[in-house]
Order: sequence, then structure tokens, then C-alpha cells
Amino acid sequence: MARSKSDVLQGTIDLLVLRSLDVRGALHGYAITQHIQRGSADTLRVEEGSLYPALHRMEQAGWIRGRWGTTEKNRQARFYAITAAGRRQLAQEQESWVRLTDGVNRVLRFA
Amino acid sequence: MSWLHRLANTLRPRSLSRDLDRELAFHLAERADDLAASGMSTGEAALEARRRFGNRTVLTERTHDRDVMLWLESVLADVRYAARTLVAHPGFTAVAVLSLALGLGANTAIFSLADAVILRALPVRDPAQLMMVEPRDPKHPGPSPSADVDFTNPIWEQIRDHTHVFTGVFAYNSHTFDLSNGGLVRHANGAIVSGAFFDVLGVRAIAGRLLGTGDDVRGCGGVAVVSGGFASRELGGAAAAVGRTLSLDGHPMEIVGVSDPRFFGIEVGRKADVFIPLCTEDLLVGPGTLDQRSRWYLQIVGRAAPGLTLDAVSARLAAAAPGITEATLPQRWSHVQQAEYLGRSFGVRSAASGFSDLRQEYDKPLWLLMAAVVLVLIIACVNIANLLLARGAARQREIAIRVSLGAGRARVVRQLLTECVLLALAGAALGVLFARWADLLIVSWISTRRQPAALDLSFDWRVFGFTIGAALVTAVLFGLMPAWRATRVDAHALLKSGGRGLAGTRRHRMSRPLVAAQLALSLALVTSAGLLLTSFRNLASVDPGFRRDGIVLVEADLSRATPDTGRIPAMARGVLDGLRAIPGVRSVSQSAFTAMSGAGWNEYVLVPGFTAHDPEDSLSFFNQVSDDYFATMGTPLLAGRAFTPADGARSDAVVIVSRTMARRFFGVDNPLGRTFRTPVGDTASPPFRIIGVVGDSKYRSLDETSSAMVYLPLGSKAGLQGWAEWNYEVRTDLLAPSIVPAVRDAIGRVSPAIEIEAHALSSQVDATLARPRLLATLSSFFGALALVLAVVGLYGTLAYDVARRRNEIGIRMALGAAWRDVVRLIVGDAGRLVLAGVVIGAALSFAGTRFVGSLLYGVAPQDLRTLAGATLVLAGTALIATLVPAWRAVRTDPTEALREE
Repeated sequence: MARSKSDVLQGTIDLLVLRSLDVRGALHGYAITQHIQRGSADTLRVEEGSLYPALHRMEQAGWIRGRWGTTEKNRQARFYAITAAGRRQLAQEQESWVRLTDGVNRVLRFA
Repeated sequence: MSWLHRLANTLRPRSLSRDLDRELAFHLAERADDLAASGMSTGEAALEARRRFGNRTVLTERTHDRDVMLWLESVLADVRYAARTLVAHPGFTAVAVLSLALGLGANTAIFSLADAVILRALPVRDPAQLMMVEPRDPKHPGPSPSADVDFTNPIWEQIRDHTHVFTGVFAYNSHTFDLSNGGLVRHANGAIVSGAFFDVLGVRAIAGRLLGTGDDVRGCGGVAVVSGGFASRELGGAAAAVGRTLSLDGHPMEIVGVSDPRFFGIEVGRKADVFIPLCTEDLLVGPGTLDQRSRWYLQIVGRAAPGLTLDAVSARLAAAAPGITEATLPQRWSHVQQAEYLGRSFGVRSAASGFSDLRQEYDKPLWLLMAAVVLVLIIACVNIANLLLARGAARQREIAIRVSLGAGRARVVRQLLTECVLLALAGAALGVLFARWADLLIVSWISTRRQPAALDLSFDWRVFGFTIGAALVTAVLFGLMPAWRATRVDAHALLKSGGRGLAGTRRHRMSRPLVAAQLALSLALVTSAGLLLTSFRNLASVDPGFRRDGIVLVEADLSRATPDTGRIPAMARGVLDGLRAIPGVRSVSQSAFTAMSGAGWNEYVLVPGFTAHDPEDSLSFFNQVSDDYFATMGTPLLAGRAFTPADGARSDAVVIVSRTMARRFFGVDNPLGRTFRTPVGDTASPPFRIIGVVGDSKYRSLDETSSAMVYLPLGSKAGLQGWAEWNYEVRTDLLAPSIVPAVRDAIGRVSPAIEIEAHALSSQVDATLARPRLLATLSSFFGALALVLAVVGLYGTLAYDVARRRNEIGIRMALGAAWRDVVRLIVGDAGRLVLAGVVIGAALSFAGTRFVGSLLYGVAPQDLRTLAGATLVLAGTALIATLVPAWRAVRTDPTEALREE
């Protein structure tokens, strides 16, 4: 696998999705984008083009589990929920994110 | 890893995953709803939603690729990890791969033989529609068990012209042609066929024309079709072959066409190169041959209309049977025989895979060997399962760490199974190489001078599928249970215990029954190998009733030397004298038939006072021989006198009989002066008077029970009239090849047109031993292999036990146990395993050997001596396997063993 700059992005998406699912319980893809968009006060927008590949990748990794269900509007949608492994992953990612932003902030202040 | 992308692309189904599509459609719908709620019209909202979404196909593909690639990546990671693990344990890997290679290789070798000989359909158009006519006995309805499917030409013509059950039908007679024009023969395999042969089979010509129904005319000239292979081998290519003339059995035949080189005829194991039309029989054998009603030599094969079953075709043939038998009734038969003939019926059997002498002979042996190699593979599997169990115990720490890091149990099992699949595939790859070599060897073993086995052993999809399938089944067989057990660990407890391992006793419980089962299976294999070996030894040492060594057999066909059959006896006499004059030749005799040549002559014998329970009981074999035949062959004269040159000229018929003939028909050892007759139609022949009795000789095969034999002197009026194919037994100290030029010259001086073939009599006798030899050799090899594998398994288990019980043994020794006690401990342990194996194995052998029964000669399937011998071999080898671990146990240093605790 190419380890390129998309890694950072990918990592962020994982973090955001896992966090959303941890807080809100099972969500479908559209709800996840809405949640992130609203939660970030419209500063972050998740592209569909990255969301679905990421969801499937995380499902394969065993962090989330997808299941077909019905929405209030009676539509068939795939709901994703976080797993135990996903929570462990979330903790790790959160930690490294905090460390990263902390580091970046220090550099910014230092300059 | 762009190749990974490419692989992912090829794995992408055309309509992608429907789930993913649904998921994305839902996303679009939700977005459109939101947009509509914010005031857009429904149509605009849908458009806008799609615009924002971007290229949906690309997204679907990308997501799907991600799925496939992740899966591929995890598989690749598993494979890489497995390969690393295997490389890190070269000893284990080598043992496992090697035993799998032997097991899978043996299976592939035998299966591809069985495939070529028994299973594979003919490479012709729609082989499933081909059916072969067989005789049926209306008193015993159902398919005929008889191998005899020969019919007369009049019956063939009736079936061709008056039954309408086939869309096409042809007659076939396997024939070996002589290409030479006198002198040493040059054989070409071929067939005499009716015109529709190629058309019904759907074979095309690559040059000229093939035979057609236009060739089925009485009084036809000689034409021939040759195979593509023959044309390029012998005639300089297909185009050059057409128009040339071949000498076939001394008759010139024009080549009119060349058949597709892939077509080998319809006999599996025998390649046919030359085909001539059936109408040439009148030319080759003599005028009127085609009308003979008791010349049984044609096989009839038809193509049924699609959808017609064997039963349906059989029923239609049975309905036509009375008309056919009535029109073809042999005129000269006795009334009893004619009545029986009129009651005969016909049916069909499948001819999809052609027919084959080789198949008839090796059908049962091949399935037997197949069973043996499957057992060998099972034993190999158990071995590897045991090794894996031991390794599983050793790897508990590694597995526990992986489980505690969040790997699911299924994930770890998959990882361990990947290792097994890798091992099995490596074993299969190596085994295929082994199988190719083994197949060539086996084919050379079953080829005889008269019947060279020409088999298509190309590695087709069926064999490939078999090998891969066997490898995967094997991997699951030996891998699943150990993997399941290995992952059943309590990670927490195990890691806390410092990795000493908890599952030792559990592994112990599993592996002991496995070893006992291995020993049992190998005992069964060793026992059957012992039976087949004994049977072969019995056969090889059977007294054939003549001295087989030191005789060169010369077969001379005088039919082409003169058109006047009246001159043949004088010419034959000239050949005899010519051979006698060759330096280094001790004696020469002449006979109509030789032992185990595949040809024979029998007649019913009428003896006053003898009534047969079964008509077969009154059959006796006949031969016509020169006066010094018994002296040359070394057959002892038991009573009376041998022939003299004058016997052939007598007006009454005198004969010499074998001891079995004397005892069976006359009840005495020397019925000198007694007479018997043979039936001729509804009357009887003039009497034959017995002047001597000789010892029994084998006639057709070594395993026949002694047959009744009647010998007539050369020239006897009661003997064969016009017989032109004489055999000369040349007793000499020279080897066959070195005497052949002198033989050729001597016979050439009598007539250059005489056709000659020469070989050692012993090789002719040996050829009948090909099957028992193959069975004895292969079953011994597989038996030995099974034994070695099982004993390695036993050794592994014992060695592991000794290592595990080091502590206990140390304590025992510290408490005063002598080395004898320690040895007794280990050997007793092994003894119990072997005993269990022997008891189960003996039961298995008794149950299994009845399948071997019909292949045995001179030894009962439940021969206790063989079973005892096999048990001894097993016990002896097991003892050797026990000694090393026992020795290691004795050498345990108590202080050191205890310090480790």
C-alpha cells in the first residue's frame, strides 16, 4: 500500500467516524456526514468519495460493524456501529491526535 | 502495488456489489430529501444531490476495490506470515512437504492412470451417445456381465440394415497389420472397420478422404486410411501419404486419406494407425469370409439418437433379435446349439469411453491401488496433524499474544490454516513431478510386447482438479483440528504462567489415538502388500510344465509364401530343417500353438462313460506338435511313448494327452490304448487313440488350474488343415537377439515371403506376470511408505512425551528407578499404542482383504501367516522407533531435570 499524504486524511476520517459512532450509536453513512458537518459547525465536510471506502475499510479491520436496517422514513440503509476493537482504536487515535495537535500548536506558538 | 489493483479489477464483478449500490442510492435519496426541504423542487434536488455526489460509478468502484484489496491484502499478509513461519522451521516444513509430496504424488499418479484407462471419455464428438451392442441372455435379463462382445458379419449386416435404433452405426475389428513383405515382421496397430466408422465418430480428414458407406461393397479393392501420426512418422507427412501404397499383411492397399492426428481409435491403451474397410476381409482372409456365420470377430458400436437411454435402445434391439438370429443361424451347428442361438438377444452398453483390454485387466487393480494411496495420504495427514498439534502447544504463547492484541479466534484459525494450505500446495507441486515420473514407470511396467500400453497421460483439468482438491481437503484434514485446539487458549492464564504451556496433556490425549489409527492403517496396507507379494512369488515360481529358459520362439506365417495350402506342410518341414542346421541350436520343434501366446484351440471331447455336469467340463485344449516337441520343451513323458515321424502319416489318429486329461476323462494315470471322439455338428469324429501321457503344461496363463490337453502329431489327418501360422521352439544357449539374423536367413532360403517374428519364450511367459508384478511392486512400495510414515508418527509422539515427562523421569530416577524401569515405562507406553494399532489393523485387514481376494493366486485373502508377518514387521519397526526416545529418557540427568522446575 502506498503510504502517502492521504494517510493523514485517512487517519482523520477514521477518528471522526469512530468518534461519531461512539457518541451517537449506530448511524448510516449519510447521518455520519451530517453529524460531522453539524458537530464541526460546518467547518468540516466529509466527501462521499472518501467516506464509503473508509467505512468499508474500517469494517474489514473489525473496528465497526455494518448492518442493514430501516430509517424513520422507512428506507433501507446500512447502519454502522462501533465495536470493542473500534473503541480501542478510537482511544489510540484520539491520543495521537491530541499529541499531534499539541505538537503543531507548540510549533505555531514558538514561531 | 499496481498489480494488486489490476487483480482487484479482474475480481470486480460486472454489476459491482449490489449492497454497495443500495447503500449509495440511499445516501443520494437522503441528500435529495434535505435539499428539497430547503426549498428546491424535487427534480432539481435530485440533480443537485447527484452533482454533489460526483461520479457515482467511480465511487462505487473505488469502494469495492478497497473491499477486494483489503481482502487480498489480508490473504497476502497471511500467506507471507505463513511462509515466514514455515521457512523459520525448515525441519518441520521439510518433513511435512515431503510426506505430503509422496502422499499427494502417489494419489495423482494412480488417479491419472485410472483417469486415462477407465474414466476419460473418447476424444470424439458426443461420446456419451456412443453405445456398444452386447449379447443378452433372455433368461437372465439385464446388462450382460460378459466381456465378450464379438459378432459375426451376417449379424452386423442385419443390425445395420434392419434395426433403426441408431443414427449411425459401425462394425469394428481390432487388427495388427504386418507392414513387411516377408522376412521379419513390422507391426502396425490398426482396425478393420465398416464405412460409417469415421462419420459416426465425427473424425475429420487432414488429407484425402476417410472411409464411407460407399466402401461397404462386396468385392471391393484394397484401400486404407492412416492416422496423422503414422503419416508423418512413416510416410513423410499427410499430403505425401495420400496415393501411396502400403503392404498390409502382404496385400497392397492404396492410402486414400489421413485422419486427424488427435484421433487414436476407440480402444484405450492401444493406438490405431491403419484403418481398412471391412469388405477387404474377402481379400485378406479368403473369398466367402464375410458370409461365414460362425466367425465371431466384430464389435458393433452405434450412436443413439439424443435422449435415448441404454434401456430404450436395448429394448428396441431385443425386439429385433428374433429376426436377426433367424436370418443369421449358423447352418452347421448341432440342433442343440442352433436352438440356443435362436433364443439369443441383444442389448447395449455405454461406449462413451471406448473399450479396452487394458481396462478389463487393470480396472480392479487400479481401484485397489487408489484405495491404498488414499490410505497412505490419510496416514501422512495424521502425521502432519500430530506435528501441528505439537507445534500448536509450542506456539501457544505466540497465539495468546495475538489473541490478546485483539485478533479474533477465527482470524487466528485462518492464519494457521493458511500455513496448512501452503504446505499442501507445496506438497502437491512436488507430488505432481513425482507423479509424472511414476506414471511413465508404471506404463512401462504394464506394457508387454504384444500389448504396448499407449495411454494419454497428459495433465488435463480433471487430474489437475483432483490434485488441487486433494491438497485442499488434505490441508483442512490435517490443519483444522490442530488449529482449533491451538486457539482454544486462555490467553490471560497462559501469559501469566510464563509460557510453560498448559495444553500438553490435552495434546497428548488427542495424538495417541491418531498414532494408533496410523499404525492400524499401515498394518492393513502392509498385510495386503504381503498377500500380493506372496501371490506374485507363487505365480512366478509356478511350474509351467516346460522349461521356459533357453528357448527362442520363432513364429512363422507361411500363408503368403504359397497360394497352394497343400504345399504348406512341406515348406514348414523345410523351415524346421533349416532352423536345426543353425550352429549353436540344440534342438527345434514345431507346434501350432505355444504357451501363453494368447491364441488357442479347444474342442469338446466325447469319452464313453464320462458325463459332464457342465458343458465346459468336457472341453479340452488341443495342439499339434512335431515329434521332438516334448524333448525340446522339457515336458516329461509319464507313460507310453512320444511321437515318431511316422505317426503323422498313419491312417488312424493317435494322440498324446496330459495327465489332467487322462485323470479327468478316464479316471486313470495311463489310459493307453483308450479312445475318444470330438463332436462334428450332430455327429462325431473318427476315434483318437491315446499312445502316451505327458505332464501338465500351462496353456493360457500361469494361474490357470491344470487344463486337459490333447496333442496331435504333425501331418495328422485329424489335425488342423491348411494351417499356415507355425511356431518353432528353438532350444539354444544363445540369446534371442543374437540368433535372429541366422533364423531370418534360414527361413528366407525356404521362401523370402514367409513372415517371421522371434523372441524368447521366457519373455512371453513373463508378460503374463505384468499385472501381478505391478500390484506386488506398488503395494509393497505403498505399504513401506505407510509403515515409515506411521513409525515416524510414533517416534514423534514418543519423543515429545519423553521431553514433556523429563521432569517426572528425573524424579523417578532420583527416587531410585533403574534405567530398566525407565525403558519399561517408555516401551510399555509404545507397546500399548502398537497393540491397539495391531488389533484395529488386524480387524481392518480381515475386512479389507476380501477386495484383494480375486487378485490372489495360491494364498487365501485371510492368510494368517501373512498377517502375522506383517504384524512382526510393524512391531519390529515400531521397536526401532521406540529405542531413540527410550535412550534419551535413560540419559536424563535427574539433578538437571529437577533444577529446571
